[in-house]
Amino acid sequence: MFDAKIPAGPLNSKWEDYKGHCKLVNPANKRNLEVIIIGTGLAGASAAASLGELGYKVKAFCFQDSPRRAHSIAAQGGINAAKNYQNDGDSVFRLFYDTVKGGDYRAREANVHRLAEVSGNIIDQCVAQGVPFAREYGGLLSNRSFGGTQVQRTFYAAGQTGQQLLLGAYSALERQVALGNVKMYNRHEMLDIVKIDGKARGIIARDLITGELERHFGHAVLICSGGYGNVFFLSTNAMGSNVTAAWKATKNGAYFANPCFTQIHPTCIPVSGDHQSKLTLMSESLRNDGRIWVPKKQNDTRKASDIPEEERDYYLERRYPAFGNLVPRDVASRAAKERCDAGYGVGTSKQAVYLDFAAAIERYGNIEVGKRQMTNVSKEDIIKLGKEVVAEKYGNLFDMYAKITGENPYELPMRIYPAVHYTMGGLWVDYELGTTVPGLYSLGEANFSDHGANRLGASALMQGLADGYFVIPYTVGNYLADEIRTKAIPTDHPAFVEAENKVKETINKFMTIKGSKSVDFFHKKLGKIMWDKCGMARNEKGLKEAIEEIKALRAEFWKEVRVPGSADEFNPELEKAGRVADFLELGELMCIDALNRRESCGGHFREESQTDEGEAQRDDVNFSYVAAWEYKGDGQYELHKEPLEFVECKPTQRSYK
Amino acid sequence: MNLTLKVWRQKNKNDQGRFETLQAKNISSEMSFLEMFDVVNEGLINEGKEPIAFDHDCREGICGMCSMHINGRAHGPWDGTTTCQLHMRAFKDGDTITVEPWRAGAFPVIKDLTVDRSAFDRIIEAGGYISVNTGNAQDANCIPVDKTKADLAFAAAACIGCGACVAACKNSSAMLFVSAKVSQLALLPQGHPEKQSRALNMVAQMDKEGFGSCTNTGACEAECPKEISLTNIARLNREFIGAGLSSEK
Amino acid sequence: MKWSQFFNTSIGKKLLVGATGLFLCSFVIVHLAGNFQLLYNDEGKAFNVYAAFMGHNSLIQFIAWGLKIVIVLHAFIALQLTFRNRAARPVKYAVNPGNQTSSWFSRQMAIMGSILLIFIIIHLTNFWAKFHYGEMPLHTYPGQEEPLKDLYLVSQETFKQGWLVVLYVIGMIGLSFHLIHGFKSACQTFGLNHKKYNGLLSFIGVWLFGIAIPVGFAIIPVVIYFK
Repeated sequence: MFDAKIPAGPLNSKWEDYKGHCKLVNPANKRNLEVIIIGTGLAGASAAASLGELGYKVKAFCFQDSPRRAHSIAAQGGINAAKNYQNDGDSVFRLFYDTVKGGDYRAREANVHRLAEVSGNIIDQCVAQGVPFAREYGGLLSNRSFGGTQVQRTFYAAGQTGQQLLLGAYSALERQVALGNVKMYNRHEMLDIVKIDGKARGIIARDLITGELERHFGHAVLICSGGYGNVFFLSTNAMGSNVTAAWKATKNGAYFANPCFTQIHPTCIPVSGDHQSKLTLMSESLRNDGRIWVPKKQNDTRKASDIPEEERDYYLERRYPAFGNLVPRDVASRAAKERCDAGYGVGTSKQAVYLDFAAAIERYGNIEVGKRQMTNVSKEDIIKLGKEVVAEKYGNLFDMYAKITGENPYELPMRIYPAVHYTMGGLWVDYELGTTVPGLYSLGEANFSDHGANRLGASALMQGLADGYFVIPYTVGNYLADEIRTKAIPTDHPAFVEAENKVKETINKFMTIKGSKSVDFFHKKLGKIMWDKCGMARNEKGLKEAIEEIKALRAEFWKEVRVPGSADEFNPELEKAGRVADFLELGELMCIDALNRRESCGGHFREESQTDEGEAQRDDVNFSYVAAWEYKGDGQYELHKEPLEFVECKPTQRSYK
Repeated sequence: MNLTLKVWRQKNKNDQGRFETLQAKNISSEMSFLEMFDVVNEGLINEGKEPIAFDHDCREGICGMCSMHINGRAHGPWDGTTTCQLHMRAFKDGDTITVEPWRAGAFPVIKDLTVDRSAFDRIIEAGGYISVNTGNAQDANCIPVDKTKADLAFAAAACIGCGACVAACKNSSAMLFVSAKVSQLALLPQGHPEKQSRALNMVAQMDKEGFGSCTNTGACEAECPKEISLTNIARLNREFIGAGLSSEK
Repeated sequence: MKWSQFFNTSIGKKLLVGATGLFLCSFVIVHLAGNFQLLYNDEGKAFNVYAAFMGHNSLIQFIAWGLKIVIVLHAFIALQLTFRNRAARPVKYAVNPGNQTSSWFSRQMAIMGSILLIFIIIHLTNFWAKFHYGEMPLHTYPGQEEPLKDLYLVSQETFKQGWLVVLYVIGMIGLSFHLIHGFKSACQTFGLNHKKYNGLLSFIGVWLFGIAIPVGFAIIPVVIYFK
């Protein structure tokens, strides 16, 4: 049951070898095999399109009004690929190595290597679909650099790379819908998995418009529902992003791996007040040109422009001269928190640092002056030219910042602060992306597999599309080849009836509590506990408190929550209630996992485990494993350890100095 | 600040619907428009009433889900902005704000301010893609693309499919949406093999969905949160004429 | 796509509206050039000769009938589209943006077009119907053998009636407002939108078709009235 199924042989031939030997399904049989896909982000849409093209009968579900809305769309910066178009020494191995190192040696080598291998194909596929990546004047693709790497391997489409990639996958998906290979269920939410004889055989979904519960059969079920960052209430995730699908899988026997591995993104717009409903990311690409600093004096209340150069502390450049402002996200986030906690923060809340483009504007201005062979140029003109260049590179991000804060980032430095952004943890999957439940797969951010304890920038898009376009078409076939004799199971099977009754019961419970507090009240409270005690820095005492507080909050939720309206209509509050109920369970598991992992690694920083310089201190002897948790009833989890073996990348203390 | 809201309430698609007047109290100018709605909804829930249903998701101006017609403007008074990015700085204490759903026969109301935009998906199904199966692609740099055209294609591809163009158009025309996709794919060499059938089929589907026709008023361009240009509509017209005059089928 | 399908799509219909519209634009130039002869101080000789030529040349007559068909076609398809467009929004907004998002002219095409259509019908009864089917005074100019139908005299008499002058001026305001948007819009429908040419097209649309031509037409009855 608990076997990672990593093919034997040398690392760089494992995937080739797998593809050469996995079982195939002939076209006539594919027509009779049904696959259910939950979520239509990069992973789900690309999987649905690819499996539809192969001839499987696919049913895809999303809770939004269209598959094009999935939150992959909000990814800004770019997508990595080992194309080495820049001739700067990139290779599959280097992308693999950077990713494993960036993940602080908590990812599975074989999966990451496969990811690096197919990364180039993703770019080819997307360009063929008409994704308008940024190009150079010669008509070839442009690249930029991203955190945690020293080569330029990031492909991008201004600050809207995720949007363009998702629309590419979406259009491929809609093409299959038009061809009749995929049936799309918009505004539907999966509320349970149906298991028959130990295998995943379908789902119960709620039509969010009519409130009707539906039973859907599938020979396999793919969970591509994204991450669970919204457990913190405030995050860069969309309002609807949730863990429900993955959590129902967990409750049906799929293991949940490394739940405590959360990525806190260093450059987000700071919280402005209690009303805040979500946080907005400012792309990591800004760190290519922006310099991060705080005043050298504590509690400095001067305006940024009044603080002279020598009184500014460019703390990332000071602490990490080799990578400077482009250190990985976990390192940059912690450094910002350290400065703010020490009293150097800026802005009214003091929970922010500056991201300053003045130097870049001047540098670009001078380059333009040189390019255009201008003479006698005034300082103002240089600045003006520089601003034009910066506007071309980051215009949409600057506009977004201005709209939200009301400040002009071309004149004043941006104020930024870390925020929850991505979750590396997720459903445990083997090399084939299969969970511990046969027939149940998990792709993209919803699984745990590729990013270890910290994800490098521009790698999420890569993983989502790798899983959907290039991995699952092979691996699910390997499973379905043995299912060709299984006829579609009628949905009046007792397992479907039982699952539907369970869902109905839960919904009835929500509707009948009629308590005194809104769903958001509980969600905000949970978020606060998680952020304070299971956020950027964690310790034993805090985690133990958090577990108790979450238990108490959960009990209160089931007594006091108020869900207005009825269950047989469009009812967003009811949807939220279901999601928050699952977060209230997951949050506890995250704390349990964080408490168990008494080491610091990647985004998981245990205050008890740090070097003298305050850097994260890994403990490879005791914690070089994937923590896969099995659900054993309310608040009860059993830990299974998948040991991590490193053949090609020998774990070292990560250093970006 | 304190505001008066006149909000469209409609139980479901068969309900007649009506305006309801609500008070929004203690609203901070730092809030986004949707956060103001969160506050109002929290109040309604606490009073035992039904909160206002509205579509929203990413709240950073990219998913295209939010869709409110605010004081006569699709996505409110700021240019190039989605409802979720509109902040309360745009309003003054004591203002009355009228909020309506997108109005178009092709976008039926589901509840309150939520509408059904699946017509857009069906238009994309009619041809808003390049027919390339996974795994068939040549090396990405084998297809050089003129940077000017690539940039134009990107500008068109920035469409978020929110439907503000339809909402803003006095004819409920979806031409800006359709033209953005047709333009993006017509400008890129990858899109050329199917450009005729794409233009013809997408326009036919657009008509079938019951959107109006374009009278070139430019309201769509003015309200588009991604500032998609009217030149795309001209390009769609060219593509459509070219295809109509010369297609073999 | 078959022709019948092509011209039944929304864009196909707009193309017909645009093409007929541009044809009518070219017509108004010719018509105005001819009408200016009403202001010559030659007792209407040039104008009446011109009218006689236009009235009897078979090619011109063929075009003239074509013109009427074009007007009907233009109005018919445009109204059909207008009704369809109105039906595309069964529930109207309580608050409309007014001029914040589009120009007033662009939203009044159907109204202005309808005013124009009514004007054209009146205009045709006043002159064209009279010329071809009614009682016309005759005038023989020195050096000519045949008498000419004196359309010049008819126009002089017609425009002595103040209310008709006002009606004509209103008609021309309608024409102006219709063409300020109409010319540019037709170009856009044919896909003509390019930053190198947009300035020129706007100039032609506003100054030539929107102002010069309607003013030119309107001046004639006014001058005659005050003569």
